[in-house]
Amino acid sequence: MEIREQIHENFITLSPVGELDANSSIHLDEKISSMIQNGKINIHVDCRDVSYMSSAGLGVFISHLDELSAKSGKLVLSDLNPGVFDVFDLLGLNQLVTIADKGDDIGKYF
Amino acid sequence: MKAYLRVRCNKEYLATIREFVKDRLVDLKVTGKVSSQIVLAVDEACANCMIHQHQCDNHSTIEVAIYRDKGTLYTEITDTGKAFPIDEYEPKQLDDIVRDRTKGGLGINLIRKIMDEIQIEEKRDCFVYRLGKRIDPNYPL
Repeated sequence: MEIREQIHENFITLSPVGELDANSSIHLDEKISSMIQNGKINIHVDCRDVSYMSSAGLGVFISHLDELSAKSGKLVLSDLNPGVFDVFDLLGLNQLVTIADKGDDIGKYF
Repeated sequence: MKAYLRVRCNKEYLATIREFVKDRLVDLKVTGKVSSQIVLAVDEACANCMIHQHQCDNHSTIEVAIYRDKGTLYTEITDTGKAFPIDEYEPKQLDDIVRDRTKGGLGINLIRKIMDEIQIEEKRDCFVYRLGKRIDPNYPL
């Protein structure tokens, strides 16, 4: 899976491309784990090019929430397509994970 | 008429399963959000079989079938591995999943949120997971 990375002043944007399922989500998980290990704890995931997400993709985000919170970091998602947002909504995860409003300045979340 | 797909227990085939389900749902006049949710539920059930029942053994296979019976859309996953009590499984609480920093446990929650019927039928040499979704309110379950 291709994951683009963009460094900002106080956060990093990851932009995965494709489907986040049980087969592919490990790549994003490894990327986020590596960033946290390197002290990069303010992470923005731009989901505009994520066409599908299963529970494996959700699990990647959920599994890092507690660790990021303990380190005073933050995970923010943005630009979810309606199908992907529906997966979060089905489980009420949109209440647990910060999802930026469309067009928001992401920097203000960190 | 049932449509069938048999694939190896390799996670790379999950995309093939999703495409198969999506296409057959179009044939059965099921589209939009309902279609997307059924595709997701089948993906979750198949991933569960591949990973937990077969440890992604490339020599094992599972079969996916789709058909419509009056107002209900059924998908069946036939698995020769051990049965997973998907119909009795107690969904994990979100707070517990966050606290335990686990990646799994959400798939069954999704299946149970999406599907209206979940059955496991034990046959002589396999188990059939039958997931039903009511798609026409004019036909009672």
